Amino acid sequence: MAGKGLVQKVRDTQVWKSIFRHGPPDNARNRAAVVAGNVFLHLHPIKLKKSGVQLGYTWCMGGLTFFIFLALTVTGVLLMFYYRPTAEYAYNDIIALKEHVPLGIMREIHRWGAHAMVITVWLHMFRVFMTGSYKPPREFNWGVGVILLVLTLLLSFTGYLLPWDQLAIWAITVGSNMAKATPFMGHGGPGAMLAQIGDFVMVSDKNDVRFQLLAGRFVGEPALLRFYILHCVFIPCVVGVLIAIHFWRVRKDGGISAPL
Amino acid sequence: MKELINWLAEPIRSFPIFTILFILMLKYYKVIGTKKFGWGALIASIPVVAWFAADPNFIKIILWPDNIPINILIVLVSFFTWLTLYKCAENDNRLEAGEVPVEAMPENREKVWSWPNLVYTELFAIIACTVFLIAWAIIFKAPLEEPANPTWAPNPAKAPWYFLGLQEMLVYFDPWMAGVVLPGLIVVGLIAIPYIDTNPKGNGYYTFSERKMAISSFLFGWLVLWVYLIIVGTFLRGPNWTFYGPFEFWDFHKVEAMYNINLSEYIWIKMLNTPMPGNLVMREIFGIILTIFYVGALPVMIARTNFGQKLIEKSGQIRFYIFIFLALGMTSLPIKMVLRWLIDLKYIIALPEWELNL
Amino acid sequence: MSTETRQQLNRREFLSFLSVGWITFTAACAGLGSMAFRFSYPNVNFEPEMEFLAGKPEDYEEGVDERWKNGFGVWMVKQEGKLVALSNICTHLGCIPSWLPAELKFKCPCHGSGYYPSGINFEGPAPRPLERYAISLTPEGLIKVDKTKIFRHEKGQWELASSFLEV
Repeated sequence: MAGKGLVQKVRDTQVWKSIFRHGPPDNARNRAAVVAGNVFLHLHPIKLKKSGVQLGYTWCMGGLTFFIFLALTVTGVLLMFYYRPTAEYAYNDIIALKEHVPLGIMREIHRWGAHAMVITVWLHMFRVFMTGSYKPPREFNWGVGVILLVLTLLLSFTGYLLPWDQLAIWAITVGSNMAKATPFMGHGGPGAMLAQIGDFVMVSDKNDVRFQLLAGRFVGEPALLRFYILHCVFIPCVVGVLIAIHFWRVRKDGGISAPL
Repeated sequence: MKELINWLAEPIRSFPIFTILFILMLKYYKVIGTKKFGWGALIASIPVVAWFAADPNFIKIILWPDNIPINILIVLVSFFTWLTLYKCAENDNRLEAGEVPVEAMPENREKVWSWPNLVYTELFAIIACTVFLIAWAIIFKAPLEEPANPTWAPNPAKAPWYFLGLQEMLVYFDPWMAGVVLPGLIVVGLIAIPYIDTNPKGNGYYTFSERKMAISSFLFGWLVLWVYLIIVGTFLRGPNWTFYGPFEFWDFHKVEAMYNINLSEYIWIKMLNTPMPGNLVMREIFGIILTIFYVGALPVMIARTNFGQKLIEKSGQIRFYIFIFLALGMTSLPIKMVLRWLIDLKYIIALPEWELNL
Repeated sequence: MSTETRQQLNRREFLSFLSVGWITFTAACAGLGSMAFRFSYPNVNFEPEMEFLAGKPEDYEEGVDERWKNGFGVWMVKQEGKLVALSNICTHLGCIPSWLPAELKFKCPCHGSGYYPSGINFEGPAPRPLERYAISLTPEGLIKVDKTKIFRHEKGQWELASSFLEV
C-alpha cells in the first residue's frame, strides 16, 4: 500500500481501465493516446503549431461558437419540455417558463446564448479574414463557414417568433415581408407581374415564397408551427452536418492556419 | 454639448464622420496598433462612457435587455479591431526590417502537444463563457411584451438586432434590394472572397501592408456598412423609425418631414418643365440609363484605367469583373445614402407599376 | 468477333444505357424534391373571412373610420362623395400604420411611411399608395367589402366601378 495513493488505486481498477486505455497524460505517449483515443478530443490534432494555440492569434471564437451551439442545444431541448407551439399556449408557456419552473433563467440563457453565438460567429469570421486563413488550401472551408454564419442568423431569427409576443410577431412580419419582395418568386417583387397570363396570376400571395415560409398570407398559427420545426429540427440538423464538414476540413486542410 | 452630439449623430453627419475615422484608422494603424494607444483610449473612454451613461435617455436605450448584445458587440469589436491592428503593426514592422512575422518565428512554428496546451485553453474559455452567460441571464431578464396581436403594430417595430443593418438599408432601398438582393450579394460576395483574392501573401499571419486592398474593403463593409448601421438602427431610430439623438427622449409625436422625390420627377418636371411622359420606360429613361451605366459601362471603364489594368494582370478578367461587380454592389449603398441626403432622392428608377424601384 | 465479346455492351451502348440511367435517376430525385416542395404548400388554411358586411353608408362620417380596422384590417374613408375601403397594410413591408387624426395622415411605425387619408403615399420609403378593397352595396342596402379583390392606384384601378361607393 505504501506509496500507492487513492488516485492510483482508482486508476488500477478494472472499471477505470476499461474506460481509459492509457495512463495519465504526463508523457508523450499518453498525451498522444488521450487525444487520439477519445471520440471528443480527437477533433484535435495530437500536436499543433504553437501559433495555433495562442489566444492572441485565434481569439478562440470558432471554438466558443461551437460550445455555445452545444449549450443552446441542451437548453433548447429543456425548454421544449414546457413549450407548445400553438397560438393558444405559446405565450402562456413562456410565462410559465419564468414563473412555474425551477431555475427560471433557462429561457434567458437560451436567448442570450443565441445572441452571443451571433457575435462569436461574426468575430470568428473577422479573425479568419484578418489572418488570411481563407486562402488556399482553405477556400472551400471558408464557404462552408459563410453558410454556417447565415444558418446561425436564420436559427436565431426563427427562434425569435416562438415567444409569440408583439416583439416576435412584428419582427417576423417585417422580416418575412422581405421574402414577398423576392424578384420573380414573391408576389410583391419585380418580375412577378410578368408571370401573369390574362387574369391568371402565376405568382400570387397564395403560392409565393412567403406563403411557403409562413404557410399562410400573414404570420399566424401555421407560421408559428413551421418556425418551431425549422428552429428545433430542420436548421439544427443542417448546421450539425455542416459543422462536421467544417471541422473535418479544418483538419484535412492542414489545421489552424499558420505561415506557409 | 449634448445638443451637439445629438446633431452630429444623425446619419447624414455621423456616416461621413465614421467613414473619415475609418480611413484615418487604416492610415495611422501603426500608431493605433500600439499598447500605449490602446491603454490611452481605454482610460480616455471611461469618463466619456460615464458621462454618456449619466443621461437618463441614453442609459434607458443602452440597458434595454435586447440591446445588451449590441453593447457587448461594440466593446468586443472595438477591442478586436485594436488587437488586429496591433498584430498587423507588429508584423509589418518586422517585415519592413526584413524579419519574418511573429507567427513564423521558430519558437512559434514549433509543434506542441494538444494535451495540455490546447484542451486547457479551451476548457478555460468554456468556463469563462458559461459564467458570463449565466451572469448575463441572472442580471437581465429576457424581454416579453404583450401577447401577439396581428391588428396592432408596436411603435417602433424592429427586427432582431443583427438584422437592423438591413432594416436601416430599407430607409434607402426598396425591400427587394435591401431585403433580398443586397443580402444575397453579401453572402455570395463573402463566399467568393477566396476565389477573387489571389494575393498569396498574408496567409496565416496578421499583416496589413501586404494585403491593403483586401483588408480595407472587407473592413469597410464589416465596420462601416454593417456594425455602424446596426448601431444606428438600434440606438438612434425611435418611433416611426425617425432619427433620435443618443440623448433625445423618444417622443412619439416628433414629426419629421420626409418628402422624397424620384429622379424622373426631378428631370422631367423641375429641369425640363414638362409633364411626365405616359410611357413608363420613357418616364424612367434617365434612371434606366444611369443604372445600365453603373452596372454595365462603369466596370469596363474601370478596367481601362491603370488600376484596373494592374488588377486584371494580377488576377485575370473574370475575377476582376466579379470583384468590380461586388464592389459596385457594396458602394451602391453609400451612394444612395448620399443622394438621399443631398437631393432628397427617393428612387433612381421608380416603377411601382412593375414593383421595380431602385 | 467471338460470342463472348458480343455479349458485352459496346462502348456506345454502354454510354447511352448509362446516360438513360442517370437521367432517370436525376428526374426521380427532382420529382421527389418537388413533391416535398409542394407538400409545404397547404391546400386549405384557416385565415379570417375575406368578405364582410360593413353597415350602411349613412353610418359613416366624413373622414377616416377605424371601426373595422382591428377585426378586418380595413379603414373606411369617406371623402368627396366617395366611400372607399382602404387596406391597413403598409405597402412597404406590411406593418400596420396608425391613423393620426391630429396630423391627418396614416403613419407606419416600422419605417415611417406616411399616407394621406386618400391612401396616397407622400413620405418615407413606401413605394406606392395603400390598396383599396372591392366595395359594393347588397340588395338590402348594406355595404359589402370584398378583400379578395384589390385595386391599385398606380395601375389606374381606382377609377374602376367597384373600387369606391358613391355616397
